[in-house]
Amino acid sequence: MAVLPMKKASICGLQKDRKKILEMLQRRGVVEISDQIEQDSVFSRADMSSAQATFEKNIATATAALSVLDRYATEKKPMLAALQGRQAISVDRYDSFADVREETMKHAYRLCALDRQLEEGRAEIPKLQTQIDGLLPWSGLDVPLHFKGTKTTSCFIGTLPGEWSLQALLERLGELAPDASRVHADIVTADKEQTRIFLLCPQKHAHLLEDALRQLNFARPPADADLVPAERIRQLEDEIQSVRQQLQDAEEEIRQLAAHREDIRFAVDYYQMRAEKYGVIGRLAQSKRTFFVTGYVPQRDTQRLCRELEDQYDAAVYLEDPLPEDDVPVLLQNNKFAEPVEGVLESFSLPGKGEMDPTSVTAIFYYVLFGLMLSDAAYGLMLVIGCGLILLKFKNIEQGLQKMLRMFFFCGISTTFWGIVFSSYFGDVVNVVSRTFFGHEVGIPPLWFTPLEKPMQMLLFCLAIGIVHLFAGLAMKLYQQVKAGQYKDALYDVIFWYMLLGGLILWMLSMQKFADIVQLSFVLPSAVGTVSCIVAGVGAVGIILTSGRESKNPVKRLLKGLYGLYGVTGYLSDILSYSRLLALGLATGVIGSVINQMGSMVGGGAVGAVVFILVFIVGHTLNFGIELLGAYVHTNRLQFVEFFGKFYEGGGRKFDPFAVHTKYYKFREDNENE
Amino acid sequence: MSNMGIVFAILGAALAALLAGAGSAVGVGMTGEAAAGVVTEDPSKFGKVLLLQLLPGTQGIYGLLIAFMTLSQIGVLGGSAEMSLAKGLMYFAACLPMAIVGYWSAIRQARVSVAGIHMVSKKPDQMGKGMIFAAMVETYAILALLVSLLAVTGIGGLNI
Repeated sequence: MAVLPMKKASICGLQKDRKKILEMLQRRGVVEISDQIEQDSVFSRADMSSAQATFEKNIATATAALSVLDRYATEKKPMLAALQGRQAISVDRYDSFADVREETMKHAYRLCALDRQLEEGRAEIPKLQTQIDGLLPWSGLDVPLHFKGTKTTSCFIGTLPGEWSLQALLERLGELAPDASRVHADIVTADKEQTRIFLLCPQKHAHLLEDALRQLNFARPPADADLVPAERIRQLEDEIQSVRQQLQDAEEEIRQLAAHREDIRFAVDYYQMRAEKYGVIGRLAQSKRTFFVTGYVPQRDTQRLCRELEDQYDAAVYLEDPLPEDDVPVLLQNNKFAEPVEGVLESFSLPGKGEMDPTSVTAIFYYVLFGLMLSDAAYGLMLVIGCGLILLKFKNIEQGLQKMLRMFFFCGISTTFWGIVFSSYFGDVVNVVSRTFFGHEVGIPPLWFTPLEKPMQMLLFCLAIGIVHLFAGLAMKLYQQVKAGQYKDALYDVIFWYMLLGGLILWMLSMQKFADIVQLSFVLPSAVGTVSCIVAGVGAVGIILTSGRESKNPVKRLLKGLYGLYGVTGYLSDILSYSRLLALGLATGVIGSVINQMGSMVGGGAVGAVVFILVFIVGHTLNFGIELLGAYVHTNRLQFVEFFGKFYEGGGRKFDPFAVHTKYYKFREDNENE
Repeated sequence: MSNMGIVFAILGAALAALLAGAGSAVGVGMTGEAAAGVVTEDPSKFGKVLLLQLLPGTQGIYGLLIAFMTLSQIGVLGGSAEMSLAKGLMYFAACLPMAIVGYWSAIRQARVSVAGIHMVSKKPDQMGKGMIFAAMVETYAILALLVSLLAVTGIGGLNI
């Protein structure tokens, strides 16, 4: 339970060791680089942006190549591939990649080129097909489309709008060009839209016929080849065939290149690492023979880092404590039980300057509240078994996922516990099954009581948990202020509130009327009520006098004090907010019961059993999912709003070390266990 | 008029399922549209936006819960369904918080969720906060559920 203390480290090394030292730092992943050294006549920064751009381009190419492979040579992935985590790769493997990287990038570029070829080919086929479609009606013609005639004859090949018969055409031409003689006409094909005609006449009459045809809106077809249409169609079909063949070949080649998939993946990681390294090189202060790295290192790692650097290289490491005004990054360390909740904390905000890490306290309440909201022993067991199995079976699972599973594992344990306490097993499945299929009803008695029968008692229990949670939040504030030596603030901001709230609660518990309303079985003696009333009064007066303590003006100060006391309504709504524990807890159980009841409506017997099992599986899966989501969201809310609101500000920046951020492989340090 | 009690009780149960369910249907529809828009740009965000889409769906379930509780309390699901007019009206009133608050909160929550989905499309790591914003609205649906639930279970014991 701690924010790890950070040291500011300055590492000075020789240029000849630069590559090795940086690679070591990257694999260790314990230094967050910061630029602190100004450029001067001795030290300057190198511009690495062009090298970085090359790496970025390689990454983009390799990534695109992988997506091509995924499209044409889909890899068979095992069902739970996402859980298996990345394969670890040794340093030797990393070093040996330098030999094949040229070739691998060639493969990647080839894949991208093939992909483009495929795209173009696919676009080409419909184009050719359109040409064929345009030529098909002409396929009966045995001269090329742009045939103009012989030495003595002129030829007109083209279309007329509308449907013509040969006779009608000849008659019309006779009318329009009465002087033209020896006209030979043929209809190639005709349909409703146009008629394709072939006309032959002596050359001297050509102009007459042309005029006549123009009046009939004659148009020549586009012709692109010296071939007879039928032959041209065959040629185009051959072309399509060859494009198809090319596409097949390209796909086949892609499938063969799939053998290099691993190498290309490796290339993505390799260039990613180098890009990051070069980013750091660009920030180094370099002289002719030496270089400087400055950055933050968690204190626990400093010793090892110093030893390694100073033993293996001619390097010097200088450590110092960060100054108060430095923007120190935050790294948390917690035990296995609390660690999973770090993610929840992070999604709110990391601890700011001078704040403690609230993860462990948050974790305890997180598990308890989550369990109360889901509160079904069977659902809890499903969580425990599901997460437990995955955690056991997939040791290599990614860190983030593993943390989340561990969180739900603990939540599951708590859920099971509360489920047994309040007797909920898939709602009331034991009762329903025993009643419907075995004739006499059996139930598992609750360890404490059934919330549906005594909702008021459950509500009080939930509010009590809420009060504990809120008081824990105040206690955190107390601890923080005492630790910082702000004893007065601790008294004003925490102790007075404890007195006021604690006093009010005890006072209420001593009233018969309150006990009647909430069906409480006990009443505190009135002496306790009087004392607690006085304590609450002192607290209230204290709050009025001190809440506005930063104002000098006494009137303003008093008004601010009164406003501070008004904050008690905030506490009231905070406490009532915990009634969601009851509502969500009941919702799980009641919806579970609704599902069971619907399943049992068919009655006993074999058919009834089948229907019941179907309804049971579908219904409870749905209910489990929705309630899980609800419990997760509302536990977060209670932590963020009610709990953190009491003491926690956040605003810290996450420790972002210079490290290996790869996608497909983990880079194992060979001498990890020295 | 002697059997009007059961009519009002059923009306209440029907309203709880009807209004809360309608609100959730509208809400989940709105968030679904927004979520689909984000997924067109980036399919990998499916899981995140799906969670945000589901958030306004709970009111419908709470409505169902209250309707079912009422139906089982008044004996429609087996047992005798006789009750006084006063009792019927009480069941009716008990169902109203869930019905009305359920309807409006689902739609309002959906609008917050839609905003959250837009947020996730730009800053996927901020999803937790988007969910919390939506959960703030749901608080009031939960309070209504609580009141309806306590009332529906309590009325049976009254001697009217």
